[in-house]
Amino acid sequence: MMTLFRYRDLIWTLVARDLKVRYRRSVLGFVWTMLQPLLTMMVFYLVFSSLFRFDVRNYPVYALAGILFWNFFQQSIIASMNSLYGNAGILKKVPVPMMVFPVATVISGIVNLLFALVPLFGLLLATEPRLISPALLFLPISIVIAALFTLGAGLLLSPLAVFFHDVRELVGVGLTLLFYMTPCFYPLSIVEGRWFYFLFEYNPTRSILEVFRDPIYFAKIPPLVHLGVSMLVALIALAIGAWVFRRAADRIPFYI
Amino acid sequence: MSSPSTAVAEPSSAAAIDRGEPVIDVAGLALCYRLSKQRVGSLKEWMIHLVKGNLVHEDLWALQDIDLRVWPGEIVGLIGANGAGKSTLSKIVAGVMKPTRGTCRVRGRVAPILELGTGFDHELTGLENIHLNAMLLGRSKREIVTRVDEIIEFSGLGHFIHTPMRNYSTGMMARLGFAIATSWVPDLLILDEVLAVGDARFLARCHTRLDRFRSQGTTTLLVSHNLREIEQRCTRCLWLDGGRIRAQGAPDDVLAAYRASVANAKRAIGIGAHADAPAPPDGAIEGLTAADLAHDDPSPPR
Repeated sequence: MMTLFRYRDLIWTLVARDLKVRYRRSVLGFVWTMLQPLLTMMVFYLVFSSLFRFDVRNYPVYALAGILFWNFFQQSIIASMNSLYGNAGILKKVPVPMMVFPVATVISGIVNLLFALVPLFGLLLATEPRLISPALLFLPISIVIAALFTLGAGLLLSPLAVFFHDVRELVGVGLTLLFYMTPCFYPLSIVEGRWFYFLFEYNPTRSILEVFRDPIYFAKIPPLVHLGVSMLVALIALAIGAWVFRRAADRIPFYI
Repeated sequence: MSSPSTAVAEPSSAAAIDRGEPVIDVAGLALCYRLSKQRVGSLKEWMIHLVKGNLVHEDLWALQDIDLRVWPGEIVGLIGANGAGKSTLSKIVAGVMKPTRGTCRVRGRVAPILELGTGFDHELTGLENIHLNAMLLGRSKREIVTRVDEIIEFSGLGHFIHTPMRNYSTGMMARLGFAIATSWVPDLLILDEVLAVGDARFLARCHTRLDRFRSQGTTTLLVSHNLREIEQRCTRCLWLDGGRIRAQGAPDDVLAAYRASVANAKRAIGIGAHADAPAPPDGAIEGLTAADLAHDDPSPPR
């Protein structure tokens, strides 16, 4: 951790490079980051307002908040897995702590999330202005919890992706499964009473998601129990991820 | 013994290293590349082999029994055929790879140039890459800002520094890479075959800079196939052969032995033989081919 602090300038530069490369090439870059989740939300809205019905107050806000969280989580994990490959040339020739790459990836994921929050606030204003409340000030803490959790998952998976090339495909499938098991675009109540309900209820991503969505959708600070659980989940994920990554780091240059 | 009153001079970063301790201390070092007999590249295959119980690895020892101590101010040349372990050793000393066995301790600030232009992002401009590259080498933003002008000056890139790197020639990238890595006087400089690129003028500037480093006490590890360069610059020479130290000592002696061995191998293959000519079995084991040998020394042995 101390080493990471020593390399903080490098991390910021990697983040800046990530964003520059992402947004320099296309004028629509920023707009696209904001538009894509909105469009996804509209698809869900169309599907679930006409095909399946469930009663969710202000569904657009509910779904968009869920989608933003999920996009951040999924994109950061996939980018972390690619970050070691993408920087193989550096890892093999320059003695740099490898953890800086997944860390920088998650940080640029946060920046993208912040951009994507702008249309969400617009949607709040347009549909339910009372949701613009002081509880939103809690959002940074929610994002930090989500980021620590995501970083843990990224640190765990990125060395595996180096050792075995099919891990990325497996993770892709796993993320899809996890997406449907996490109440991003549906209310948890629709699976209530089913035998597999407990899987949904104790899904760690759900607690992280709710801590993120509560300040937006319910205009309230998440209950302390939820907060404690999600923090614990995030720290455990980070501890496991960092442990695996450090153990694997010495072998990464041999496989990349 | 020096009396305290005479100790006025502020030592430079390189001179701050206590002369009594080695800069590189390698003991009993070995490095093994594990090559799986069946390419296990996926989790699926790995599982299958694990279940079948036939997960067989072939160990390729790239380096074995390496003991090496390099003292401050030395310029050590590493020679040997392709695959002898030169680059692997320089990577371990640089800290990019960890040895399988043994230890490698390095003291002080290391500037590794294992390949010119590593870590450049071709989408960014030269200037942006100066920052990125120097930070990869562990420099802070503040340190870099004070050196940017000097780096641009040395690289001779002029206004091209504001152009995206994808428009650079190989030589331009090489110049910038060398300028960045050597902008700070390191305690240990590792050069792996990097002076081979670049034109004569750039090479002359590099050598001037290396000479300055030398006078400031920098230790250098130089990997090269250019035996003349080793002869002229090094204070010690190390000959790696098949992952082991075959000989080390004064450059003249080691180079003489190396040249004799190369000449012998050449004779065995037949002088003037080409790479496609069948090589004798022992030559193949050594990893020596006629092509390697031909490239090894641009100056013909007399």
